[in-house]
Amino acid sequence: MNYAVLWVPGFALCSLQRHEPGLQGKPVALVTGEGRRAVVVEATREAQHVRPGLAVPLATSRCPGLLFRGRDLVAEQETMQLLVASAFTLSPRVECTSSGCVTVDLKGADAERTEAAMRLHVLELRMLGLPVQIGAGETPLVARYAAKVTDSIMIVRDRGGFLQPLPLSFAEPSARLAEILEGWGIRTLGALTTLPKAEIGGRLGPEGAALWERANGESPGVLTLTEPAKSFAASWRYEPPVESVEPLVFKLRRYAERIAAELRAVCMVAEELSLTLLLEDETDHLRQFRLPEPGADVDSWLRVLQTHLDSLRLDSRVAGVRLVAKPARPAQAQGGLFETGRTDAASFWENIARLAVLVGDDRVGTPVPLDTYAPDAFRMERPAIVVPAAEARPVHPPRGGLLRRFRPPLRVRVTCQGSSPVMVEGAVRGDIRARVGPIRLQGGWWMVAPWAFDTWLVELVDGGLYQLTHNAAGWAVEGVLD
Amino acid sequence: MYVELHARSAFSFLRGGSSPESLASVAALMGLPALALCDRNGVYGAVRLHTAAKTSGLRALVGCELTLEDETVLPLLVASQAGYRQLCALLTTANLRAPKGEGRVTWRELEEGNEGLLALTGDEEGPLRRAWREQGTGAAGEAGARLLAIFGDRLYAEIQRHRLPDEEHENAFVVDWAQASGVPLLATNGVRYATTNAAHVYDVFTCLRNHVTLDTAGRLLVANREAYLKSAAQMAALFADIPEAIANTAQVADRLDFTLANLGYRFPDFAPPDGQTQDGFLRKVTYFGAHQRYGSATGPVRRQLDRELELIAKLGFAGYFLTVWDLCAFAREQGILVQGRGSAANSAVCYSLGITAVDPIGAKLLFERFLSEGRTDWPDIDLDLPSGDRREQVIQEVYRRYGRQGAAMTANVITYQSRITMREVGKVFGFADDVLDRFSALFHQGDLPETMKLKEQLQAAGVGGDNPRYEKLLQTCLQVRGLPRHLGQHSGGMVISRGNLSHYVPLENAQMPGRSVIQWDKTDCEEMGIVKVDLLGLGMMAVLQDTIEICAQRGQPVDLAGLPKDDPETFKAIQAADTIGMFQVESRAQMATLPRMKPQNFYDLAIEIAIIRPGPIQGEATNPYLNRRQGKEHVTYLDERLRPILERTLGIVLFQEQILRIAMELGSFTAAEADELRRAIGFTRSRERLERMEARLTAGLKKNGVSDVAAESIRKSLGSFALYGFPESHAISFALIAYASAWLRVHRPAEFYAGLLNNQPMGFYSTATLVQDARRHGIRVLPVSVQESDEKCQVLNDTTLRLGFASVKGLPRASVGRLLTVRKQQVFLSVQDLIQRTELAPPERRLLARAGALNGLAEHRRAALWQVETMDAGDELFRMAVADPEEPALSPLERMTHLERLQADYETVGLTVGAHPMALLRPQMPGMRTAEELKRLRNGERVVVAGSVITRQRPGTAKGFCFITLEDETGHINAIVRPQLFEASRLVINLEPAMVITGRLQNEGGVVHVMAEQLEPMPVLGLPEQASHDYH
Repeated sequence: MNYAVLWVPGFALCSLQRHEPGLQGKPVALVTGEGRRAVVVEATREAQHVRPGLAVPLATSRCPGLLFRGRDLVAEQETMQLLVASAFTLSPRVECTSSGCVTVDLKGADAERTEAAMRLHVLELRMLGLPVQIGAGETPLVARYAAKVTDSIMIVRDRGGFLQPLPLSFAEPSARLAEILEGWGIRTLGALTTLPKAEIGGRLGPEGAALWERANGESPGVLTLTEPAKSFAASWRYEPPVESVEPLVFKLRRYAERIAAELRAVCMVAEELSLTLLLEDETDHLRQFRLPEPGADVDSWLRVLQTHLDSLRLDSRVAGVRLVAKPARPAQAQGGLFETGRTDAASFWENIARLAVLVGDDRVGTPVPLDTYAPDAFRMERPAIVVPAAEARPVHPPRGGLLRRFRPPLRVRVTCQGSSPVMVEGAVRGDIRARVGPIRLQGGWWMVAPWAFDTWLVELVDGGLYQLTHNAAGWAVEGVLD
Repeated sequence: MYVELHARSAFSFLRGGSSPESLASVAALMGLPALALCDRNGVYGAVRLHTAAKTSGLRALVGCELTLEDETVLPLLVASQAGYRQLCALLTTANLRAPKGEGRVTWRELEEGNEGLLALTGDEEGPLRRAWREQGTGAAGEAGARLLAIFGDRLYAEIQRHRLPDEEHENAFVVDWAQASGVPLLATNGVRYATTNAAHVYDVFTCLRNHVTLDTAGRLLVANREAYLKSAAQMAALFADIPEAIANTAQVADRLDFTLANLGYRFPDFAPPDGQTQDGFLRKVTYFGAHQRYGSATGPVRRQLDRELELIAKLGFAGYFLTVWDLCAFAREQGILVQGRGSAANSAVCYSLGITAVDPIGAKLLFERFLSEGRTDWPDIDLDLPSGDRREQVIQEVYRRYGRQGAAMTANVITYQSRITMREVGKVFGFADDVLDRFSALFHQGDLPETMKLKEQLQAAGVGGDNPRYEKLLQTCLQVRGLPRHLGQHSGGMVISRGNLSHYVPLENAQMPGRSVIQWDKTDCEEMGIVKVDLLGLGMMAVLQDTIEICAQRGQPVDLAGLPKDDPETFKAIQAADTIGMFQVESRAQMATLPRMKPQNFYDLAIEIAIIRPGPIQGEATNPYLNRRQGKEHVTYLDERLRPILERTLGIVLFQEQILRIAMELGSFTAAEADELRRAIGFTRSRERLERMEARLTAGLKKNGVSDVAAESIRKSLGSFALYGFPESHAISFALIAYASAWLRVHRPAEFYAGLLNNQPMGFYSTATLVQDARRHGIRVLPVSVQESDEKCQVLNDTTLRLGFASVKGLPRASVGRLLTVRKQQVFLSVQDLIQRTELAPPERRLLARAGALNGLAEHRRAALWQVETMDAGDELFRMAVADPEEPALSPLERMTHLERLQADYETVGLTVGAHPMALLRPQMPGMRTAEELKRLRNGERVVVAGSVITRQRPGTAKGFCFITLEDETGHINAIVRPQLFEASRLVINLEPAMVITGRLQNEGGVVHVMAEQLEPMPVLGLPEQASHDYH
């Protein structure tokens, strides 16, 4: 028992299910390819009659209610970290062999204790939703094949007898070789190794010879050992979920200290923190905090985080937290003598964060017009770090007087002759002497609420030049031209 | 008065939201006297506007938005015939030198050729306003001056008011510039859609053009819906401050003398030898031909020929007949089979000239269906040619004779159909690909969705009623459906003209190299009196030609013209529906009818071909005719005067000619009116036209004392013929080919099957089905062999065929040629010898070995696969070495099993020459009936059947029923699926390559069907996937 392999069957789908609880027990298929070329890669047991390679529409016809998902690489990475961390408890010599597969060099380890530890790992990882299978054998490849064959733990002692019936796909032939060997009727490792290796090398080249060796369980080279990850992220769940800030802040500090220390160890600082609260109602609350000054000072981080958490009102309890620090190189520049930047950047961003909590994220920042004809359509953007360069002077500068807007517009009653307004009554009142318009803007016809505005410029007999609008809500004076 | 002089239609392709017909009808409704259609870079929609305008009293003016080299867009209006020619020339020059859609006219070309054209300064894309927007007043002044220098007093300053912000600022500049430059102002509404409702379509098209969704399009979309067709009063109110801009529209319209009514098209003259006149020469060659065809041209033959020739001379069509005759002569000289089809077969002149193969006198065909005195358009002569290279040879000959600008293919307008509409509009609405994929899968390959309304289709695709955009998507899809999407090339319609064809219509490059295409489709050409000769490629013509060539090579020549008539053995096969591979009678529907119809002679065959058509089926003529023929119903006539017309079809109207004769004899139609009726039947774009003729016919029948019941029956026939009517002459022309194919299948099966296999894909069935059918007829088909095969399928003897290399999927033709060349020098001694001498690429060697083509050189397929894998194959030294024929190269591999061989067969050649794969799977499917067993079971029995799906049909006439044909080792099983079951099982039906069907057996009068109750995917794996003929 020189090597052990921890292997998770259907790793991508399994990772997905671990991170999306709603998928448990459902017919789920993992698909690859886009549009009409999408095919099933893996499917859960519940997805009856669905097999890998099936086109998506055909899979739907065979299993009504089938749920389709693409690969979630983040979920896979998380799960992989768990697997690697677990492997490190067996031996310090660990290789991340492939997605869902970790090889451990056990040479020199006590066989009995290792086997017991492996059984424990299988149980622990399965409790975490990771159906790991462990194989052990003379070579890394034999161990890997064993892990794929067993549903729990397998230790291979008779290498020849074990390899003989295994499918050829275990040796992972290239598409070209797979096609050739399929044509030859070679479907097992044993069938391939029965053929003379020299003949295979002569006909299929070095690639063929290498495949023959893999079919024989021979592993090329040595393991590419991995280091324990330098993690700048942490996530955890609460059982039961929490309602108050204290336990959150307590743990936040612990993890923030660890992350900050890891950052410092690699001479990095954090420029942004990302806090995700996983709520009991299976929704998330995500908040990103761009730090006023990149750094690794835990007190500064917690001031930002706690300010946010203190004023946060949630409809549901927090079931989990994820904290990620975005690393950056420490700023090297020296402040200029005539620098006009913010005198207290930290408090500026702190205030922005407080305001966002009070009035909502979408109501703090700089208004930026949207690319639409809809009047007054805009979105709020965070204030720019750098003041943007001035736009080129327009070919035709805006004409006419300046419009002083009424916020909100003044609702008025308007009398029309034909479709033209002749009299205004309300906050602004009087007969209309002259008018220009209407300017007509319509849009959003495909939406639930299409919009349409007619805009007039009117001059009242008693003086005053106003902008008058008419839409589904009625007439309003939008502003006065100075 | 106001005339709209700047309108775009959907023929601006994604730049207009309404059809020309809609624009015409709305313009007429608005009381506009004229409308100028200025489509982008073409006159694609001009004929449609012209045709629609004729009925609504509108004057259709011709214009075009021309894209110039600097991407500015200049609207031009055609004032005279010379101007029209100039416009066509500008467009043709620009289009022929650039890829499709990228033709741009240079300013120099515009300077040199603008006679007879009026220009507007254009909208926001025009040279004037664009320069003003992007560079300011100075640059705009220069752009205006440039236009003024080119067009002088033919330039108008265009001004539009769409109630947009800043619009008046721009207009103020245009007004100032116009006044300063002495250019008259002209108001237009820059129409992009007929009504405000169609503005949504315009937005959707904008998104498609810019590859964005409605949500992300932003200001690419229209700011409002004001660019619709407005009335004179609306426009006058808009431009109350500039009344001259409105008044000038009428003045400009007065300057535009040109409409498409004076296109001036001329057919090319035929130059007879020795200074003879065209009429004289036509008479000469006609009588020469008549003597050959009829033996002697006397009595009724002479009378008919003289009558036709006199009419041809009177109408000035002699040159046309001679041109077609000459083209047929060219084809024959090149050894290419050619046969006229359609109404030309009604003409004794065409028969005598060898254009058609049907004797219209003997067949009592109605000449007026082809040509009549009142006819103003050109008669239609369609030529069937063998598909493929031989047809291309004839097409290229036409180009050679008339030049690249004197001949072109007609266009084919591809419109938005339901599936593509949903896909493209759905994308614009932001629906996910998987929803759209699901929708596509529900409507597999053109399956007709008439049992499911669009709303239900969307729900089935997961766009349920709870989606807020659902209603809008639905409405927009309905609006978009039927609008032009892009322009394709007609399969065989060629137009020619005297001089440059581009004087009459702009030409463009077609997708196929060496071809050009005009901007109008065949109906447009017919409307404009442009002669079209259809050079149609018919797969069966190629089969017939190949078959008779093989017969001749084998020393058993066959003369197609001299085939024995009404051959009993041939008709026995037809009556038994043993018709796979036969022309026109091999479809599932035909095979289901043949045992009832039991054709006994050639005319019966013509009826059989005509009767299984949407026209007779929808006109409810099919079943009454079959019942009368079987004696289940008495032969009666609704009016005794119909007897001579309908006697041959047992009192039922089956052919268009019968309708025309009824109209002439009972409805008092003149020949010209009958011709108008013919055109109305064939004109699918306008129901109104047909309704007018219906009314005229009903009145005529009533006047002549025809009862209301009889008149109603005749009217109903007329309506159904308008959909897919079949002329008798056409049916007879097709029957000739059908009979020839049937005779050859029965008497020369080996040669015929070889011909069929060499011309795939064609017809109704895959090669796999054809080979199985050949086996059932005692023909042994041998597999591909590197030692024996030719490129094509060969006949070895009367009962044996050898598949050719062409049947191996993915084997390049050049490799086959190389292989055949070296084999000719010396046969292959071993696999090594083959590898050394042929230089076949490794995948090609594997393919041949897998297909069993190397079995003559190796023990078995696996041994061949072992031997073809050699690392030395690419080595030059190795290749030069002398092969050792004694080389042992023993393979350690086992032989393929039977099932493995089958899989390999289907993968490499798409068929097996051995038993059907179902025979192997049969033991695993107990209780399932075979096709052969079904024939012996009682009507009404419950059965379970299984097989490969070889056809899926859902004809529009079948009220939502679907027909599936399964193939097993004993034959074919036809299943009928009710609409409800079809909807419930759509995905299984459309996507499963093999299935199990449970249902009740219908076994009556030799016609066997399974009325399906349940459809499931094949539970047993291993059945190779077979090609299926779906929804065509």
